[in-house]
Amino acid sequence: MRRRSPARRLVTGLVLLAALVFFLFPVLWMVLTSFKSNPEFFAYPPVFIPKSFALTNYLNAMRLPPDGRGGLQGVRDSLIVSTGSMVISLLAGAPAAYSFARFRTGGENLSFWVLSTRMFPPVASALPLFLVFKSLHLLDTHWALIVANTIFNLPFVIWLLKGFFEDLPAELEEAAVIDGTTIFGAFRRVALPLVAPGLVATALFCFIFTWNEFMFALLLTRSDVRTLTIIVPSLVGGHEILWGQVAAVGVVAIIPNILLALLLQRFLVRGLTLGAVKG
Amino acid sequence: MALRLGREAAGARPRAETVRWSRRTPVLMILPAVVVLAAITLFPLLFTLRLTVLSWELTTGFPPQFIGVQNFVRVLTQDPRFWNAMANTGVLVAVGVGLQAVIGTGLALELNRLRRGRALVLSLLLIPVMIAPVIAGFQFRMILNDQYGPLNYLLDALTFGRVRGFAWLADPRVALGAVMATDVWQWAPFMTLVVLAGLQSLPGELLEAAEVDGATGLQALRRVTLPLLLPVIVIGVLVRVMDTFKLFDIVYQLTGGGPGNVTETIAYYTYLQGFKFFSLGYTAAMSFVQLVVITIVAQVFLHYQKRVRGGAVA
Amino acid sequence: MRWNARALCAVVAALVLALTAGTGSAPTGPAAAAMQAPKEQHAITWEYPPKFSNVTVNVVGDAGHNLAPYEFWRDHFPKAGITIKIIEVPFEGVYEKEKTEFVAGSGAFDVVTFYPAYIGDFASNGYLEPLDEYMKKQPDGVWNPHQEDVLPPFRELYNKWAGKTYALTIDGDAHMMIYRKDLFANPAEQAAFKARYGRALAPPQTWDDWLRVGAFFTRKKGQQLAGQTLDRDFYGSAEFAKRGFSFAWFVDRWAASGELYFDDTMKPQINTPAAVAALQNFVDSLKNAPPDVRGYGYDELRDALLNGNVAMVVQWTDVPKKGADPSQSKVVGRLGYGRVPGLVIGGKVVHRAMMPVGRVVAVAASSKNKLAAYWVAKHIAYDMSLEDVSTAFTGLDVNRGVHFKHPEAYSDFKTTAEAASYLDRVKEALADGYPEIFIPGAAQYEDALDLHVNKALAGQETPKQALDAVAKEWTAITDRLGRQKQIELWHQALNSYKIAGLVK
Repeated sequence: MRRRSPARRLVTGLVLLAALVFFLFPVLWMVLTSFKSNPEFFAYPPVFIPKSFALTNYLNAMRLPPDGRGGLQGVRDSLIVSTGSMVISLLAGAPAAYSFARFRTGGENLSFWVLSTRMFPPVASALPLFLVFKSLHLLDTHWALIVANTIFNLPFVIWLLKGFFEDLPAELEEAAVIDGTTIFGAFRRVALPLVAPGLVATALFCFIFTWNEFMFALLLTRSDVRTLTIIVPSLVGGHEILWGQVAAVGVVAIIPNILLALLLQRFLVRGLTLGAVKG
Repeated sequence: MALRLGREAAGARPRAETVRWSRRTPVLMILPAVVVLAAITLFPLLFTLRLTVLSWELTTGFPPQFIGVQNFVRVLTQDPRFWNAMANTGVLVAVGVGLQAVIGTGLALELNRLRRGRALVLSLLLIPVMIAPVIAGFQFRMILNDQYGPLNYLLDALTFGRVRGFAWLADPRVALGAVMATDVWQWAPFMTLVVLAGLQSLPGELLEAAEVDGATGLQALRRVTLPLLLPVIVIGVLVRVMDTFKLFDIVYQLTGGGPGNVTETIAYYTYLQGFKFFSLGYTAAMSFVQLVVITIVAQVFLHYQKRVRGGAVA
Repeated sequence: MRWNARALCAVVAALVLALTAGTGSAPTGPAAAAMQAPKEQHAITWEYPPKFSNVTVNVVGDAGHNLAPYEFWRDHFPKAGITIKIIEVPFEGVYEKEKTEFVAGSGAFDVVTFYPAYIGDFASNGYLEPLDEYMKKQPDGVWNPHQEDVLPPFRELYNKWAGKTYALTIDGDAHMMIYRKDLFANPAEQAAFKARYGRALAPPQTWDDWLRVGAFFTRKKGQQLAGQTLDRDFYGSAEFAKRGFSFAWFVDRWAASGELYFDDTMKPQINTPAAVAALQNFVDSLKNAPPDVRGYGYDELRDALLNGNVAMVVQWTDVPKKGADPSQSKVVGRLGYGRVPGLVIGGKVVHRAMMPVGRVVAVAASSKNKLAAYWVAKHIAYDMSLEDVSTAFTGLDVNRGVHFKHPEAYSDFKTTAEAASYLDRVKEALADGYPEIFIPGAAQYEDALDLHVNKALAGQETPKQALDAVAKEWTAITDRLGRQKQIELWHQALNSYKIAGLVK
């Protein structure tokens, strides 16, 4: 892996630079838009530098009513729902993924069934779920959304981690088992740390998927729980779109995700535990 | 039960008699997940199944009526709009997800070479995934605007007027491409992270061994790295394929399915049937047909993955 | 990096939780910062009801400035012993959210705001409380919303169903024509038009004129317009051609023909020669519009005019208010208003404007506080309605006679005279409103129409093919929903049309 010729490094640099420009330009646009005010949204030539960097749009969007649109409540509710669903999906999903990967528990059919639950169009499950939650008096609560999102997150966790587990050579776990650990011990102390990068990716995406989910949030909540994805359309009236505030909410919405990503980055490093266990 | 190697190699290790192998543990490990999933999904599944044989229009006051397979007949033979939507979605899947896989994997491989700053670059690249599709839709609606959007303005300015961009969202020829580009923009980084995590989990010895054996970069890539990465790539692609069938927010914001119905995806059409028309029976039938299609696609992918992995030698 | 990110996370989380600790179950409300309640005009007299004993009324409506009235007058409700709880729903999600809750019988809403196209669906399915008895209660000043003052199209078509009143209008949407009066007044342009077409340049009276004037004003960058050289292409007209609502602009061109959506037997009338001609006119109009017109929704269409890109548009009656606002408009003071172009029938020009969208408030039949809910609805729909429709802080538009009598209340316009002239035009426009389809199944019928209209606009079908396809789908929809019942419902609608004077 020591191919570090300068030419190759230049290629790497250029590719990544191009990627950054492509992927970040719309983000930059969003940040700039969040500072714009009325005539700047659809102007010719397009406004790249807003005339003022005042935080008006942020305040209007985030402050709780009646001063603002309640974006902050959106952040809170989204945080609770996303974290909840992520945690539950990981706790239930990781052991299941291991079991499927190593033991083919339930055969192909069971693991495929798990995946298939994610294939069901959400439009079809929305109404029955609404009726179920209504009868359980769980409408307009965080639990309703946490549970509803787990339908998508849990199979995702299981299948993604299954793939990572299958890639691990089994010697290490078998060695641990021979040394006297239980299967669960082998899972917890050997396999899990080795798929840490996979865990990180999975956790992050669970969080993000739930954070951005719209349909269930719309149908299963009323006013006590309002996630950010519901707040955004509320900035769109029939006859006006508050582009600046939408952008402001967008910017605020990515911050927790970025923080989480940065937080989890250190686990995305290979070889963290390989050497340790082997020795 | 024995632990199996990921590569179907014959178990060379002797079955250990000295070790307690609990048969129950693997089953216990899947129990919470299976119970939770079954609890949440069984009712909707059965409910929807029941609906498929009914005609139930909630806009009228009429009670549901049993109509046998008529809903399915209608979906499969009398609804060109359904198939148009499937075709549009198919394009998004075949080309869009393909691009996401290629770009995503490519970026992951390059990122893997980065010594310093990887965390920062990766986090930045992930931002598109973090933006709610609803919000991304708004931003792209501005960016792709023909008269006032920065994209066409920059195209015009940077090429000194020679390239005048299209009316991205309004020209029937390119609208689907615009939707696809937005989708690729948003999800290619997903593949990047998944593949990168896979790369990090790969046993380093294999790759080093290949290098020792004299494989060049490209050869090592094709014969060692990619096959090892395949399970992870396939799962990533499979997830993206399944999710593309649910593509709704972006279409809704950017084009509303238009011009005409060139950007109407199957998720959008199903949503209309279910939540604007409240044709419950028909929506259920449509959902089931989609489920069958996705299941077949998934099976194909998984089959392919098994074959490739069976062939790759550790 | 690690502990930095961790610490940051913790701090942010703590901050968010602390800041939102107060929200809990506190009622959320609509808001716009620096928004003040409009000045009370006291043109409408009203009284408080006998005090309720701290009743909570749940109001559901589309989020944004249209819920602002509940914020403006939030002091009134406690005086009546009522606590308001607002449930905001995204504009596009109103129907599915309300319908889902109704179907499930959840009783979550007391006052429902919705678009009148759904009145047939909601009323005939028993979700709404008939209001006639409430309106008759005494004393008059407390309970009577004076429906006789509401413009007939709204009152008969959008408030009533099967002869009973179920909803009160708060927003009277209709279309009007808005154009750049400075361009029409320019002598050079007038001369050029006369030379080319042999007639005087004037805001179009018919849809044929619309095409002619539109073509005339469509110029390329570098050409002259009203004495100035253009630095961008300029277009004669623009339309709402985006999928979702483009059908309304088709109906604008067809409505003056006097034809209706269906005949007595629910046979679709949507593919008559007049209808095909109307759709052809729509398709042709796109030639005089910006190249991305097929993606134009409300905002893009409004901005095309207010940014000075386009000479004329047909749009909602609230656009002039925005046109007079310098922060949103580059053409302040240069806009003229007129009736939507019509058709020549029997030697005379007949105008008929579409009444798309709009808003009404109603009381849910499953509400546990119907009387209080009724008073809340009436308060917004009548008592404070003048203040609500005259301010630019809401998107609500005039819908009653009294709204026209007080131009001084419309503070966005620079002069009362300008406001008065705007109101006159609106009044004309509303005189012959043409409704959306509002019988049950409206969503399906309108979607089928919109799909094919849009396909014709995109060039995927010819106007005749498109409308024939619509007729075929409408027949299928009617059969699917139950032909007998649909015919009955359509007859009820026809009855309302007669009472409103739309049909002889």
